[in-house]
Amino acid sequence: MATKSWKTLGLLQKTSALDKGIAALLPQAYKKFFKEWKLTEPTAVHYVPETGRWKRNEVTGEVLPIQNVPLPVFYPKESNDHLWGGEGVVQGFQLRDKRKRRVPHFWVPILKRSVVYSEVLDKYISVVVTDRAVSLIHANYGFDHYLLKSLACDLQSMLALSFKRKILQELQNGCPAYADRPEKQRKVLDEYKGYLSAYTPEEIEWYGYSLTEACNILKHKMEAEEKAKIVPMKHVFRAELIEKLKAASLNETKMKELEEGSSSISWLQKINPFGKKHET
Amino acid sequence: MWKTINSALVTSIKNQTVLQPINELLYQQIRTTYVLKRKTPPNLHKLGGLRKPLRSRHYIYDVIKNTAIERQPDIEVLLTSVVEGLGNVGDKVSVRPQFAYNNLLLPGLAVYASPENQEKYKDLAINTDVKKYSTPSAAYTVQSLSRMTLSVIMNKDVPWTLKPWHIKASFRKCGYVVPEYAIELPEQPITGPNMDIENKEFAITVTINKQEKVNVRCRLHHWSTELASRLPYVPRFWETPSEPILPEQKSILDTIPIKEIPVRRLRSGAWGVWVRFLVWRSERHPGPA
Repeated sequence: MATKSWKTLGLLQKTSALDKGIAALLPQAYKKFFKEWKLTEPTAVHYVPETGRWKRNEVTGEVLPIQNVPLPVFYPKESNDHLWGGEGVVQGFQLRDKRKRRVPHFWVPILKRSVVYSEVLDKYISVVVTDRAVSLIHANYGFDHYLLKSLACDLQSMLALSFKRKILQELQNGCPAYADRPEKQRKVLDEYKGYLSAYTPEEIEWYGYSLTEACNILKHKMEAEEKAKIVPMKHVFRAELIEKLKAASLNETKMKELEEGSSSISWLQKINPFGKKHET
Repeated sequence: MWKTINSALVTSIKNQTVLQPINELLYQQIRTTYVLKRKTPPNLHKLGGLRKPLRSRHYIYDVIKNTAIERQPDIEVLLTSVVEGLGNVGDKVSVRPQFAYNNLLLPGLAVYASPENQEKYKDLAINTDVKKYSTPSAAYTVQSLSRMTLSVIMNKDVPWTLKPWHIKASFRKCGYVVPEYAIELPEQPITGPNMDIENKEFAITVTINKQEKVNVRCRLHHWSTELASRLPYVPRFWETPSEPILPEQKSILDTIPIKEIPVRRLRSGAWGVWVRFLVWRSERHPGPA
């Protein structure tokens, strides 16, 4: 840490979204997810990355490093309600003719409505998907395996991430969807329990939320804690009063008892000459 | 956005994750709608430094692959139940991916042929008591044969006794190749020529692949080489009601489904035939039609 601060001395450090405001208070579990989601480079979908470190120019014999610069892809907000399998919208130009001006073009994935089946949740879900998402489900031998094996940066959409959280929570609770079929429940748990080892319970709790959602959750949590701490004065005074009254009533009863002890002899006994016990 | 991220950090995060193997799989699986390539490669940046800003010319792309118009490879699935026209329980079949997903995997008739599933469902074919077909198409053949009314045309002048080869020839006329050993005639012999049994029904049993047995409805007709003595042609003889030649076969004939008149013929005015057909059927199958 000391070396880092020494190296960065006098340099302007850019603050990330996680360093500002309430986000700075988020638990480490959420920060781990955020790194996996936003700060990891996703799998190359819309381009073919070059492999190796160096390449030689065939004509000049010049050796140059290979630097893969990903194509800028954007994910419209609708993609958060769908499963695009890592695809996005590519904005760029087409050069249809050498002698013509370039033409702006958007390469948009083809969407279709289909059904996915989650074995852990035992549910059929109607969602909008792309062909790539379906072929990834095939390649991973099932929807649950696809979600659980893929990193958050490759799943990309909030819907997929929330499914993943739900599946992880379900596995953690021992698949309550199969409560009436213990044999099947055991089989499903055996098949998927390997994925749980990568997460702690806290990480599962914080998995798959957007930064805004996570901040809101944290805010509500903190507010609830604060609320629990604050006790209205009227409650304090009421308690004090009750204590006082209790003490007072105790005193009164004691006095009464004392009084009764002294004045327990009624007037009839007073005038009764045989009523009094004579001490010998 | 990626400009600000140190590549070293990226690699370290990738290495940290426990679920590493998937990356290799995903790298193989570059299947997407569009795979693009820059016409002009971007400028090189310094090692460990920031990436150079992209210029407009770096946004001119060529489409090198569009998988939406490419044929996707077949996928292999393990059948967990009998699928007519495809296979028996435990069979590994290779089918089109969309058909497999919509018609086999989602309805739960099959599972992916992953190594784990192959191990898991190894004994499925042996242990189940589900009815199995000799071949995938045997079920369709059974359906097709039980739906038809076979016209058996016999000689009007020369005496004969019905033999399997007559049935074989009749089937051949309809486009079915049926070997003689697969044909089982009624025990009581049918002889002719006999005008009493003209246009009457009898049932035979055909054995498909020496396994599946199916009863076939046959209708007997007489035919002469002389034009003058030929019987008048009856169009759509299978739609006219008829009686069994052998009374003991009535129960068998009643169990064979009757071929219904197509809706397009009813639309073109075959209602009279339809009503007669319905009356006949209700007599044969009393109760709700």
